[in-house]
Amino acid sequence: MQRRKSSKTPKQPLSIPNKSQTDLSAWRKGAKIDSEKSLQNNQSADDQKCESQEGSLEQALSYFQKAQDSVAPKKKSVEQEHLDAVESTALEQGLPPEGFEILLKVVLSGRFADTVNTRLLKSLIPASVIPENSVVTAVSWLCVGKCSGNIQLLFLKWLITMFDFIDHKEQLNALYGFFFSFLQDEKLCPYVCHVLYLLTRKENVRPFRIRILLDLQAKMGMQSHLQALLSLYKLFCPEQVTITLPGKMKTYFKNSEGPWKAAITAVRQRNQGSSPLSQAVFLGTSQPQSRKRKWNAQLVIPASSASTKHLDEDREKSCFYLCSPNESFPVEQLQTFPQLLQNIHCLEFPSQMGSVLTNPLLLHYMNCVKDESIYLRLYYWMGQRLQEECPWCVVDNPYEEEFRSFLETVYKAECFLQEGFSACEEFLYKTLPLWDGVCCRSEVLRLVSWIPLSSFSDIKPYLFDPLAQLFFTSSIYFKCSVLESLKELLQNWLIRSVIQMDLEISSVNTTLSGLVNVVAELVHFVGWISTVAMRLENNSTFLLNFILDFYGTVCDIYLKYNLPLLIMPPAGVFYPALLSMDSVNLNQLCYIMYRYRANLVAAKENELSKKKILQFKFSNQTYQEYNQYIIAMVGCLWTSSAFQKDTHPQGLCMDDKLLSKTAVKEIKSSFNIVYHPAMMGCSIKFLQQICPGDTTLNFKLIKGKKWDWYLEYLYSRGLKGLKAFIESSISRVSQAARSKAGNVDV
Amino acid sequence: MAVLRPFDKLPRLNSGVLLLVGSDEALQRQLAEAILHEKRDFNISIHLATSLPLPSERDHLRPRMDLVVFMIDIKSKYSLKNVETSLAYVDASFFLGKVCFLVTGVGRVNACSIETNAVRKLGETYCSPVLFCELELEGVRAATAQRLVRMLRICAGLVPGVSALSFVSLMRKSDDD
Repeated sequence: MQRRKSSKTPKQPLSIPNKSQTDLSAWRKGAKIDSEKSLQNNQSADDQKCESQEGSLEQALSYFQKAQDSVAPKKKSVEQEHLDAVESTALEQGLPPEGFEILLKVVLSGRFADTVNTRLLKSLIPASVIPENSVVTAVSWLCVGKCSGNIQLLFLKWLITMFDFIDHKEQLNALYGFFFSFLQDEKLCPYVCHVLYLLTRKENVRPFRIRILLDLQAKMGMQSHLQALLSLYKLFCPEQVTITLPGKMKTYFKNSEGPWKAAITAVRQRNQGSSPLSQAVFLGTSQPQSRKRKWNAQLVIPASSASTKHLDEDREKSCFYLCSPNESFPVEQLQTFPQLLQNIHCLEFPSQMGSVLTNPLLLHYMNCVKDESIYLRLYYWMGQRLQEECPWCVVDNPYEEEFRSFLETVYKAECFLQEGFSACEEFLYKTLPLWDGVCCRSEVLRLVSWIPLSSFSDIKPYLFDPLAQLFFTSSIYFKCSVLESLKELLQNWLIRSVIQMDLEISSVNTTLSGLVNVVAELVHFVGWISTVAMRLENNSTFLLNFILDFYGTVCDIYLKYNLPLLIMPPAGVFYPALLSMDSVNLNQLCYIMYRYRANLVAAKENELSKKKILQFKFSNQTYQEYNQYIIAMVGCLWTSSAFQKDTHPQGLCMDDKLLSKTAVKEIKSSFNIVYHPAMMGCSIKFLQQICPGDTTLNFKLIKGKKWDWYLEYLYSRGLKGLKAFIESSISRVSQAARSKAGNVDV
Repeated sequence: MAVLRPFDKLPRLNSGVLLLVGSDEALQRQLAEAILHEKRDFNISIHLATSLPLPSERDHLRPRMDLVVFMIDIKSKYSLKNVETSLAYVDASFFLGKVCFLVTGVGRVNACSIETNAVRKLGETYCSPVLFCELELEGVRAATAQRLVRMLRICAGLVPGVSALSFVSLMRKSDDD
C-alpha cells in the first residue's frame, strides 16, 4: 500500500522533522508481533504496547479497506475490535497519513452503521499531516451522497478543524464549485460557508457565486456565516460586491472543533514532547511546495525572462536553489536573507499562516508584500487560537504555559513588524474585562503596548476602563507593569505618528490635531491613574520610579517626536517626587524638568522666529504650570523658600504662623539641597569628608565655596539630572540672567 | 431590623468585615478560604449568607459590615434573581462604596444564561463596581481574593486618604464623559 502511495505522489516526501515516525514501514515492523495476543496483555512494557498498537492498527486498516471492497463481514465482534484499535491508536499517537484515505472512504461510503462512522470520524486525528488526495477522495464520496446527513455534517466539521493539517490545497481548491453547491442544503450551509471561507481565493470569486450568496441571504436573512463569506468576497473583489456589510463581527462561525480539539493537543504533546504549540507553527514551514496563493500577475512578470539567464548562471556557480519564474520557491528551503532577496518574486506563504510568526524571513517578506489576504488569513487563525485557548476564559484548558509562550511568540512578531495584529487587539478588548491580572500577566500587558493608534474614546471602554479597574485593585507590581506597558504604548504611538506625518498620510482620523488629542488623552489617563496609585500605595518610591519613567518620555515629545504636545505631570505626581525620600527619584524629576525646559524653550524660539507657520502653540497655561513647578523646585532645592513662594494651588505654600508652629529654627534657610530628605545622606557624607573630626554635623558649614564643592560632590555621585537642572534653571537665575526666552525662566 | 446598615455600629480596631452573599455555598466557602489565605496586615472576618435579610436574632452579636460582595453565577439565572431580591434589604448608604458585584463563571461562555450587560446594568443602577472572574480556577480565585482584600482594606478605612466613596468613583466606568 505504501508503494502505491509513494508512486502516486512522488514529489511530496513527507519530511516532517518529527521524532515519531509516521511512515508505514515503521508500522510494518510492529506488525510482526502477534497483535491479538499482545492486545490482551495489558501489563506489557510501554514500547511493546506501542508496537502492538501499530500492528493492530495496520490490521484494522486492512480490514476496513477490504470491507469497502467486498461486502462487509457482519461479525460485530471483529468490527468492534478493529474499531477499538483505530480509536486507541488515534487518541494516543494520531493516525499516519496513509490511514486517512481508507478510513475516510469507509466513513463516507456509508457501508457501516452511523455509529461506527461517527466513531471513526471522531478518531481521525493526524499524527503529522493529512494527504490532500485522501480529502479529495472523501469529497467525491460526499458528493455521491451515500452517507447520512449527520455524517456529512460531522465530516465538514472535521474538515474545518483539520484544514491546517492538509498538506496541499491545490486540488482541494479545484473542488470549490462542489462545495459551493452544498450551500443549498440548509443544515450544512453554515459549515460549508466556513469551508469556503478557508478555501476561497481571488479567482474563486465570480459574479454568479455572489448572486447565489445574495439570493441565499435574501432567503435566509442575515446569517453571520454568509456575511463572513460575502465580506471575504468583497475584500477580493470590492467592485463586484456592492452591498454594505457590517464591520467587524465578533464571531463569524460557530466553533466546530468540538470532538477533536483536545485529542489533537494531546497527540501533539505526546509526539512532540516539548512545546506542542511550536509544532503546529512549524508544521507549515516544513511543507514542500505549499499551496499556490493568488498571485499578482504583475509581481511575477517583471522578474521573468530578463533574469532567467542570469539566474541560470548563478545556479551553476553557487548552490543557491533558484527557481524559474513561474514556479514557486519552497518556503522550507528559505534559510538565509540573500535567498529571500533572490527569490522574493516567487515566494509563497505556507499553508499554515501561523508558521510565519516564528520565521523572521517570512516576517520580512510579509512586511514588504502588502497583500490584504495575508493579514486576513493570519487574523482568522490567530483570533480563533487566542479565543479558544485563553486560560482565564476557558475553564477546561489546562495549557497555561502553552498559551503564555504563544503570546510571547505573537509579541515578538509584533515587535518585528513594528505593528500590532488586529486579532490581538480584538482579543484584548474582549478578554481584558474578564482578566484577573495574574494569568500570563507580562505577556498580556506587552500585547497592550502594540494596540494601534486609534480614537481614544473608542477604545476607552474596552481597554482603559477595565485596565484601570484592575490597576486600582491589584498589587503594586501589577501597577508598575501597567505603567511600563503604557509607556511602551505611548512610545509606539509616537513613533507611528512620526511616520504618519512624514508620509503625510492625512486621513480623517489621523490629522495632526487628532493625533495630538489621542496622545494627550493617553498621557492624561496615565497621570490620573498615577495620582491615585501614589495615594493607594502610600507614595511608594518603587512605583514613583515607574511613573517618572513614563514622564521621561512625555517631557520630550516636542523635540524627539516633533509633536506639538507638552503635558506637565499632575501635582499628585510632581510633589511626591519633589519631596521623595530617595535621591534617584529626585534626580529623575530634575532631569525631566530640565527636558521640559528644553522643549518649551525650543517651542518658544520657533514661535518667536516664526520660521514655519505654526499650526499649534502651547498655551500659556502650560508655561504657567511649568513656572509654578519650577518655583517650587528652586524653593526646595536652592533658596529654602518653597513654603513662602510656591504658587501652585496644590503646592507647599504655608502660612508663616503655621510654619512658626513647627518650631524649626531658621525656617528660611533650612530646606534646600543640603537639608532635603533625599539629599541628607549625601550631605552627611560630604560633611564627614570635609571635616573628618567633627561629629556635630553642622550643615551650616556648607555655603560659599563649600556649596560649590558640595555640588561637585553630588554630581560626582551620579546625580546627572540634578546637574542638568541646576545648570540650566538655577545658575542663570543666580547670574541675573540675560535670557532670551525670558518667560520660560523663573 | 431587616435592613443592613453600614454605620449603625462601631468599627473594630484594625479589622475589616466582609459579607459574601451568594447562592452557591461551595464556591462561596472556597472564596472565603482563599481570602483568609491572603497575606494581610489587618484582621479579616468573613460572614457568609445565601441571601438577605440576615436573621435578626443574633444581630447584636454581628459586627459592622465594611463590604458586601454579591456573588452572581453567570450560568444561573436564579443567582441573579437571588441577588436582586437581596438588594432590597441593603440600606442605601451602603451603595456609597461598600458594595461590589462579583460575577463568576466567565470560563464557560457556552453555558451562560445571563447576559453580562444585564449585570453591568445592575452595577450601574446600584453605583457599584462589577468584577468578572472564574472562581472555579484556583489561580483566578486567589487573584480575586487578593483584589477583594484590597477593596476591603479601603472600605474599612485602613488606607489613609482614600475613602470607600472616592474609591468606588474610580472603579466605576466613566460613561458620562
